[in-house]
Amino acid sequence: MKQWVGLLARLIVGGVDLLAGLSKFSDPAGNVRAVRAFRILPESIVPTVGHALPTIEIMIGILLIVGLFTRAMGLVSGLFYIAFIIGISSAWARGLEINCGCFGNGGVPADPQRQYAIDIARDIGLLLCSVWLVIWPRTKFALDNLLFPSYERLPDGEQGPSTVQN
Amino acid sequence: MANKARQQSKTERAQALMQEQKRKERTRNLLVVGAVVVAVLIIAVAMYVVSSNKDTTGKAVGSSGTPSNLTGDYNVLIGKSSAPDTVKLYEDFQCPICKEFEAATGPQLQAAIADGKVKVDYHMVAFLDRASTTNYSSRALNAAMAVLSTAGPDAFLKFHSIAYANQPTEGSAGVPDSTLIQWAVQAGADESAVTPLINGNVYHQWVVNATDQMSKDGVNGTPTVFINGQNQGTNPQTAANNVLALLK
Repeated sequence: MKQWVGLLARLIVGGVDLLAGLSKFSDPAGNVRAVRAFRILPESIVPTVGHALPTIEIMIGILLIVGLFTRAMGLVSGLFYIAFIIGISSAWARGLEINCGCFGNGGVPADPQRQYAIDIARDIGLLLCSVWLVIWPRTKFALDNLLFPSYERLPDGEQGPSTVQN
Repeated sequence: MANKARQQSKTERAQALMQEQKRKERTRNLLVVGAVVVAVLIIAVAMYVVSSNKDTTGKAVGSSGTPSNLTGDYNVLIGKSSAPDTVKLYEDFQCPICKEFEAATGPQLQAAIADGKVKVDYHMVAFLDRASTTNYSSRALNAAMAVLSTAGPDAFLKFHSIAYANQPTEGSAGVPDSTLIQWAVQAGADESAVTPLINGNVYHQWVVNATDQMSKDGVNGTPTVFINGQNQGTNPQTAANNVLALLK
């Protein structure tokens, strides 16, 4: 059962990351502006972070969808969502008017307060999915199962794939 | 006694065998992980390089690529210097809310400019290229700068009004360069002067840099309206009302 939940978590987080990365990839200058809008990182690294973000999102997304390095990707993904939640909350608290830029739109939302709340709620949901994958990285239909078949018995007594029951 | 010893050595052997197998497995897993990590890193680095090379932001612009008749590096201030109030605008030609803002305030602002009541500081930017299939946002700004360079601020202002009145809808193919040239001529520019500037998209790098400057100015969306330095907030309706109140 946990493995099916894990599969769902993988597909949700991976799918969101992949789409977010793809939609941003074609507008690197826009990503730099989106990162700058938070006014958190020093200007010297803003362009690098802006250029790297979509690539990282696409890679995490693909690896999660195919189920490769699930635990590591869940961890990285979770750290990113923590960073996003901190960034959005901090922008909200400072009264900055920004679009989160998550899906690469550059405009200011019509109702920023509501948008902040929605963005944070979404990121918390995705963070929880990522945490699930860190705790229970063994999931259905994952490349991990092929590459690392004898992943030792999981600590909570759930069994490896060779003896798994649906 | 002997039996027990034999059994012990059997167990030991079995344990050693298991350990050996575990060790082999670990080596194999490390190899697999290493190989996949290297492959992923190569792809990621390649994507990063593609992405950062695509961004020409900040690249120096030569004199032929810089519009004339600007007030500062990236703005044009229009109005009599004696005018008491200044309205500063950040606008994108593709932005539909800017179109609404222009419809609500454009004629009044232009009358107030002519009457010496207000100066308007136009910061035109182009971050909505993906809202059309032909990069309309940046081409329209390039055309506006061609008009400003060859025919001056008043013609720029006319072009600005024409472009907002005829704004293509988001997601469309925008309008072709030939239409931008028509608008430029309508605004008072000389056709033979603006045609090469518009067809050649000669101010494109300046447009990219102007858009980056908006972000460095702390402005993250359009329209952003300042009245005498005061940001009027994210509600465009409020901003428009405040501008109209100022002009009364």
